[in-house]
Amino acid sequence: MRKYALAILIALQAPASAWALNPRLVIPEFASLAQKSIDSVTITLDPALLSMASRFLDASDPQDAATQEVIKGLRGIYVRSFTFDKESAYNQSDIDAVRVQLAAPGWSRLVQTHSAKTHADVDIYIMVDKNQAVGLALIASEPRQFTIVNIVGAIDLDKLHKLEGQFGVPKLDLNASKAAPKQPDRSAPQK
Amino acid sequence: MNEDVESKLRDALRPVEPRAEFSRKLLARTLSTQAAPSKKPKVSRGAARPLVGWFSASLAACLLVAVGIQQQLHQQRLRATGLEARREVEQALRVTSQKLNLAFEAIKSQSTAPSDEKSGV
Repeated sequence: MRKYALAILIALQAPASAWALNPRLVIPEFASLAQKSIDSVTITLDPALLSMASRFLDASDPQDAATQEVIKGLRGIYVRSFTFDKESAYNQSDIDAVRVQLAAPGWSRLVQTHSAKTHADVDIYIMVDKNQAVGLALIASEPRQFTIVNIVGAIDLDKLHKLEGQFGVPKLDLNASKAAPKQPDRSAPQK
Repeated sequence: MNEDVESKLRDALRPVEPRAEFSRKLLARTLSTQAAPSKKPKVSRGAARPLVGWFSASLAACLLVAVGIQQQLHQQRLRATGLEARREVEQALRVTSQKLNLAFEAIKSQSTAPSDEKSGV
């Protein structure tokens, strides 16, 4: 009887976990692009490494303390950034594999910018669960550079504000968006 | 001539009875050589006891040093990993902030020259 009860419990939990919001993006390694690039940044910080990094931050130092506060609730930071010596060295299809994941439920596009001057496109997506940002994704495509950032965990946007001026984090009206997150933008990005 | 040599040889090789002292001396020497090895272990056992102690102590000391070195190396590895993680966190935040700046600049310039920039916040 207990076996059946356990089986039913597992069967009920399986779909629940499948529907759970997952702010972790599957970001490819982009090995071929890394070879072509003149500069690349590949950062994969899991919870263990974040916790370790936090221990090596000096709480008495204001910048370290602010960083410590920001990463406290995080479960992962994933960055892929590639710089090329010529334009059009990468295809938008390289990024589309990631962009497609942002059409999943839970993700909302917070900011979409295009600069005619620098030809830079920046899209910022946020995943909100119970009025708390649990994931952030940033895709920046420039003529000679593209960057994908995925931050997983309880992102306190107020704390991110505190980093302002220290890592050069600008003032974005994130609080307003946090209070009223936008509906997911399901429209296919036009690039 | 031959007979003379033969007689000389026979005379030289004839069996001779040992003197009475010979047997006694031989017996005494045999007994003393037998007794000597039995004494040696008694002396070496006593002398080996401190050697065993020293050996155990030095072995324990070696083990302690090895464990200490292992701990030190582990700590060094942890420290290196921690510092590398810290560097990566800082770099990740720097990259993020650079890109947030790009968006910010686009939003800012949109407010001044709406025709050049497009943004949706």
